[in-house]
Amino acid sequence: MTTQTLTDEALKAEVTAWLADHWKPKAGDQGAGFGLHPQRDFMAKVVEARWAVPTWPKDWYGREMSLAQAKIIEKAFAAVGAPGAGQDRSNLWANTAMAHATPAFKKTIVPALLKGEVGMCLLYSEPGAGSDLAAIRTRADRKGDHYVVNGQKVWTSGAAVADYGMLIARTDWDVPKHKGISFFFLPMKQPGIEVRPLRQITNEAHFNEVFITDAIVPADNMLGPLNNGWGVLQTALAYERSVMGDAARGPRSGQDNPKGDSALVELAREAGRLNDPVIRQEVAQVTAYKVLNRLNNARAKAELAQGNSSPIMSLGKLAMSRILHEEARLRSKLLGAGSLLEGPDHPRAEDANFLSLNAYFTSIGGGTDQIQRNIIGERVLGLPKEPEVDRDMAFRDVRSG
Amino acid sequence: MSAITAEDLKVFVEQLKRLLADRSSETEVRRLSETSEGYDPTVWKALADLGVTGLIIDEDHGGFGGDAVALERVMEEVGAALLCSPLLSSAILAPALLQALDDDAAKVRLLPDLASGAKIATVAITGPSAGWIEGHVAVDAMAVGTDWSLTGKAAFVTHAHIADVLLVVARAPDGVAVFEVDPKAAGVSLTSLPTFDHTLRMSDIDFAKVSARRLACNGSAWQAVEAMIDLALIALAGEQAGGSRRVLEMTVDYAKNRYQFGRAIGSFQAVKHMAADLLMDSESCTSAARHAAQCLASGSDEAPSAISLAAFACADAFSAITATSIQMHGGIAFTWAHPAHLYLRRARADAHLFGSSDFYRERYVQQLGG
Repeated sequence: MTTQTLTDEALKAEVTAWLADHWKPKAGDQGAGFGLHPQRDFMAKVVEARWAVPTWPKDWYGREMSLAQAKIIEKAFAAVGAPGAGQDRSNLWANTAMAHATPAFKKTIVPALLKGEVGMCLLYSEPGAGSDLAAIRTRADRKGDHYVVNGQKVWTSGAAVADYGMLIARTDWDVPKHKGISFFFLPMKQPGIEVRPLRQITNEAHFNEVFITDAIVPADNMLGPLNNGWGVLQTALAYERSVMGDAARGPRSGQDNPKGDSALVELAREAGRLNDPVIRQEVAQVTAYKVLNRLNNARAKAELAQGNSSPIMSLGKLAMSRILHEEARLRSKLLGAGSLLEGPDHPRAEDANFLSLNAYFTSIGGGTDQIQRNIIGERVLGLPKEPEVDRDMAFRDVRSG
Repeated sequence: MSAITAEDLKVFVEQLKRLLADRSSETEVRRLSETSEGYDPTVWKALADLGVTGLIIDEDHGGFGGDAVALERVMEEVGAALLCSPLLSSAILAPALLQALDDDAAKVRLLPDLASGAKIATVAITGPSAGWIEGHVAVDAMAVGTDWSLTGKAAFVTHAHIADVLLVVARAPDGVAVFEVDPKAAGVSLTSLPTFDHTLRMSDIDFAKVSARRLACNGSAWQAVEAMIDLALIALAGEQAGGSRRVLEMTVDYAKNRYQFGRAIGSFQAVKHMAADLLMDSESCTSAARHAAQCLASGSDEAPSAISLAAFACADAFSAITATSIQMHGGIAFTWAHPAHLYLRRARADAHLFGSSDFYRERYVQQLGG
């Protein structure tokens, strides 16, 4: 314990006063994305004032504060819409570097990440390593004081504006697949990196392919020990969930969509189908999926608050995937032949068809529904894993494609 | 408001769990399924001593004043254990109806004996059309001096074969009303029905000029019946939630311990994925049941739609879980000796008493404004 413990009231007063002095909201401010932070001047002040990561050590921009007090700071920031607080919970990049970077690299990269001065992207998945992420074939070979990287990554958001990519690459091919992977902060702005936008089934391009040819990464940019990248990745993935949690997008036509539990009733009415008893059954059922997911989440939260773990937490993504696919199916059905069209003159069809395709973002991205069912079966219900034929084999000998 | 605190309820549920583990084992369930009474009076006495029969009855009438939350939680345990008893009829339907009516003399006359388990009552609601809606009431009531006379048919009446008191929903000239009938009165003829769920007893009842006492009601008696059905739906939802969790547990255990091709069958993704889906159903079932109970107990505006949601979501979940459980067990669950079919039979009963899933999905859409 420190000699003087700040009371909650005093802390709240201090942070509120600081915000009143320093936070000048500008029109059109956007939150943190993948590139440089649009509010990075302010972010730097937040870091220097030790509001960004209050639970961290004092040597690292923190206050060694309890989570409860850190929440008070986050709430004060949220109340005025100021960015930069709560990064000890939510900043995937800084937390990963803080936990695993070498002392020298940590010293430069951690403050830059907290202040939003560097753009970041993720270099994990590959064309041949999707559900089986540990099957990556991008290689990093040691040459003097650096590594040379070759390979191809995919599903990378923000690659074009990123300064660094969090990279997993194979550094030993003669050990089993999980044991020969290392984790790097790869500088993105160098000749060996080519970024190509990836056109999605929705005719948008939110992701990129990244082709890496003889790119250079200093050995000091390795996080964690050599060949221990899989362990580092687990830290990063845990934080990634808080960044990606809300990733599924709603309709995109721009036309107002009914909201709330009666939204599908209203869409059915608008489509002139509300008197169809079969449609009415489906409207009830799809609405029920949405409401049940909400009730499950509320119950999980309540159980967690009482200190009990809840099996429900792991069900949310699978539930959301069913909701999105079922809602898209019903919305298309309501339109009948109208769903043959798209574009701004047909906003309901545009939305139904977009949702039909974009539902796969949730049912495939971040672990397919099938992988998700494996995880639920194994980690929640305690069912045994499938035997893995490549578990103890040198990766060099593992079949892939 | 409930007269039972959350802490009391926890203790109560623990005691009930022990009683059920002791007195409602699978062996007992099977034994009682084959008796003509379908329940064990000594277990009924034990349930009464614990306070289950008086759970929802006012403290003024010898009960505990428990609300929908307490009832739902108790029914989770009852459902998990497949208890054979007239609980639904005598501790839920009859007291819920009496408490929704305005006949103080009837409450004083009947509720204390129901609370103590000394008497068993049931409610005859629907006629042979079996929709549990006002239009399906098929008993007519005629005034005979100050007395009343009932004629017509009631169908799917639960536990009527052991009832000491019948509450009969009938059509009087001024609208639906509730009547108290002695099941031994002249003109009452009971036909026991062969039930698919062997833990349940049901009868059709024919009334031929049966003398009856009309129970007072200030407003619409059918609204009182609906209030009773709402509480019964929450009780069934609790039973479905408890049953679902027990069946899931039993099925997952089997998938861990049954070996084929040299490995536990639960390691096969074809089986594992079915189990994951059952967990989703079972957790959703519990959430829906508890939410409906909470809404009704707190008098929330959301209560009617929450009850509709629980009615179809829990019925469908328990049906799906019990059916998939048999498939996941394979051959062993096709045998009479395995308990999986006992739960499937209970799921069928729970899914159809008081109206089908389709009926409640339709009601849900109406409540959403459709």
